[in-house]
Amino acid sequence: MSDKKAYAVLGLFETPDALMHAIPKLRAAKLGTVEAYTPYPIHGIDEALGLRRSPLGGMVLVMGVLGALTAFGFQYWISAIDYPIITGGKSAASWEAFIPIMFEVTVLFATFTAGLGMLLLLNRLPFFGHPVLSAKAMKGITRDRYALALEAESEAFDSAAAAQALEAAGAVDIEVLPAPDRSPFLTSDYILRTLGGIFVACLVAGLGIFSLIKWFPLLAPMKYMQDQPRLNAQKASTFFKDGHGMQPPVPGTVARGYLPTATGTQDASANLVNPLPRTKDVFAQGRKVYTNRCEVCHGALANGAGSLTAAYGAKPANLQAQQFRDYPDGKIYWAVVNGKNAMPAHAAYLTEPQRWAVVHYVRALQRAQNATDEDLKVVAP
Amino acid sequence: MRTDASVHAVPIPEGLLEPALTVGKVTPGSLDDQVLAFPETKPPKQWYLALAVTLTALGIGLACIGYTFTTGIGAWGNSSPVFWAFDIINFVFWVGIGHAGTLISAILFLFRKRWRNAIARFAEAMTIFAVMCAVIFPLIHVGRPWLAYWLFPYPNERALWTNFRSPLLWDVFAVNTYFSVSLMFWYLGLIPDIASMRDRTTSKLRKTIYTVLALGWRGAASHWQHYEKAYLLLAGLATGLVLSVHSVVSFDFATSVVPGWHMTIFPPYFVAGAIFAGFSMVVIVLVVVRETMQLKNLITMRHLDVMNKVILAMSCIMGYSYMMEGFTAWYSMNEYLHHGFMNIITGTYGWAGWITISCNIFIPQLLWFKKCRSSYFWMILVAIGVTIGMWFERFVIIVISLHQDYLPSAWRIYKPTMVDFGILLGTFGLFFTLVLIFARVLPVIATTEVKAILPDAQPSHGGSHE
Repeated sequence: MSDKKAYAVLGLFETPDALMHAIPKLRAAKLGTVEAYTPYPIHGIDEALGLRRSPLGGMVLVMGVLGALTAFGFQYWISAIDYPIITGGKSAASWEAFIPIMFEVTVLFATFTAGLGMLLLLNRLPFFGHPVLSAKAMKGITRDRYALALEAESEAFDSAAAAQALEAAGAVDIEVLPAPDRSPFLTSDYILRTLGGIFVACLVAGLGIFSLIKWFPLLAPMKYMQDQPRLNAQKASTFFKDGHGMQPPVPGTVARGYLPTATGTQDASANLVNPLPRTKDVFAQGRKVYTNRCEVCHGALANGAGSLTAAYGAKPANLQAQQFRDYPDGKIYWAVVNGKNAMPAHAAYLTEPQRWAVVHYVRALQRAQNATDEDLKVVAP
Repeated sequence: MRTDASVHAVPIPEGLLEPALTVGKVTPGSLDDQVLAFPETKPPKQWYLALAVTLTALGIGLACIGYTFTTGIGAWGNSSPVFWAFDIINFVFWVGIGHAGTLISAILFLFRKRWRNAIARFAEAMTIFAVMCAVIFPLIHVGRPWLAYWLFPYPNERALWTNFRSPLLWDVFAVNTYFSVSLMFWYLGLIPDIASMRDRTTSKLRKTIYTVLALGWRGAASHWQHYEKAYLLLAGLATGLVLSVHSVVSFDFATSVVPGWHMTIFPPYFVAGAIFAGFSMVVIVLVVVRETMQLKNLITMRHLDVMNKVILAMSCIMGYSYMMEGFTAWYSMNEYLHHGFMNIITGTYGWAGWITISCNIFIPQLLWFKKCRSSYFWMILVAIGVTIGMWFERFVIIVISLHQDYLPSAWRIYKPTMVDFGILLGTFGLFFTLVLIFARVLPVIATTEVKAILPDAQPSHGGSHE
């Protein structure tokens, strides 16, 4: 048993009481360091084993304070010095708003110190090579058995005496843990194989990424409005043959609301029929158009005495003359659309319904100036 | 608390002794066989069925998110003046659900409520899953989630910094800290349990995975000493978080000047509501877990009874808060506040206001009766009611306050679209998918913690650490 170097001797106990009774006896024997392995924390075992108080509380306090100071300094520097923004009329250096983030960062620093400090610094985990992990007793230790280990402190460790002491203290099962193999593993063969493995892994990963990027070009997750197909200024269009981005309308194109105007001669338009009914709305619209467009020349009564006639010496038609009263609707319409003599064309200003509405209104004016007794008869409303 | 009557001159009367935490004979070994063996058994058909349902819901949610990304945020019902609608409602709702886990694992740990040990693991897992569901919403609400890292203050080529006076930035820090701390707490608790699973499994693949995850934990007394200290410190730190995270979430509202948001009662009111909703969700899941995983001896009716009492207490706090909202509206003599409060009870969305009040205040009063606290039917009814009620509470706070504020010409009725509902459904799918997977691959009960409080688990002398 003692011919091979032992790391420790492990003794199993059935109950926490047996474990606790054995600890003082083994510590008194001074055969090696006494360590306990248990499935859950046992109350009072720290004192029994003589463990020093965990320094974790102090570490967490220091790091927590550091977190608060870091958060304060960071926020103060950004908000008051590097990038001051006035919010709500407060001074850029008003610190009250920094408190929530100071609190959160304090907790964050403290938490990582408590968790990682415990694991990495104090417990030296992760560590997968500890001899106890490969003990047969490990199955029991993480289940419902309580183990005490006498760990070798020096070359003089006597595993047989340790086993005897454990048995005397009430251990039911004794196991000698061999010392871990400490022969160097950094042989040239090992290094070559490791480097070769890294090289192959890099090669495979590089080729994989290369082909991925080659076959699947980067796809934008969302189209921005600026990315739509369009022709930039000073660039020739590849779509239209003449290279212009803007094209004139196709001959014969008609805009909405501007149907073909009366073309040809005035006489040719004589047969056109006014498509609008004679309703109050139509007369109202006709009157509005007449007031805006016709009245300055032709006068409010359509007698050719508009306010501009004196100023310009023009002689607009007296629409009350017999010649015009005999005109069919189509000829008046033609004159509105194309203009006549000094009168300009109104096609550009008036939509098709407006042109016909003003024709109706002119007819109404003519009739109003030449009313007969018949006209005074009240028609049924 | 010492329950050992022998050290007292007068024996403690039977009624004052803490009742047993488990039913029947439970030993450390039998506990392992019951809890740790579960992940190694083959899942039953019902589990696959449940997973199919939750994955379908998750798929619908992902499809709706994809539709949103390709179409634009116009796919949602959000429109002026209700810019914060389903996303912020669901965010607040899910963050709130998470609070139960932290409360159980941290505050009840500090109070030495030993019954918490059996349910802490599950509640902590639910915290993490709920926060994962919650962060989806602000991420997709920013419109371009691939630029969400702009939320963090980092030196950038635009020479811009974040505004540290904005509660929305506080929220970024609060939620990220909350998630990190919860994850750390949960994982530290899992390490000894994973070590137990590592040492009992026969499957090679599982052994490898558990070995890595257990970080070589070997149960040394010197390790336990630091571990317990770390756990205690984390509990203390997380306790601050339970109170702070939802307070910060409430600042998003309370620091604005919108009538119905600008109130000092918001932080405590939000925290109570979060614990309220979280405990209800835990009750729903615990009942299912207890029945389907044969854990009746560990998660006892007493656990559910205590949980229901907490829900009842929180319901009373919520009732007080609602009354205070009304009182503030009246006492402030502010016509905008008054209008906002009347909107809750008589406005277009009055039905939502009354769902909130009924589900959160009236229905939980059933829990005054022991019969309701010990009957699955009634406790599930209350818990589902509270879940619905708390969702509607956030709807009331956000939509009712926003849809009519100071400018009547800007008032508008908000209507969610199917995409909004689809994403909400998707997060429920995500949450329960994660719960189902967790229940199959990791120990749902913190066996190490339960072992430590079993009868005869601690030495009978000198151990007065309780």
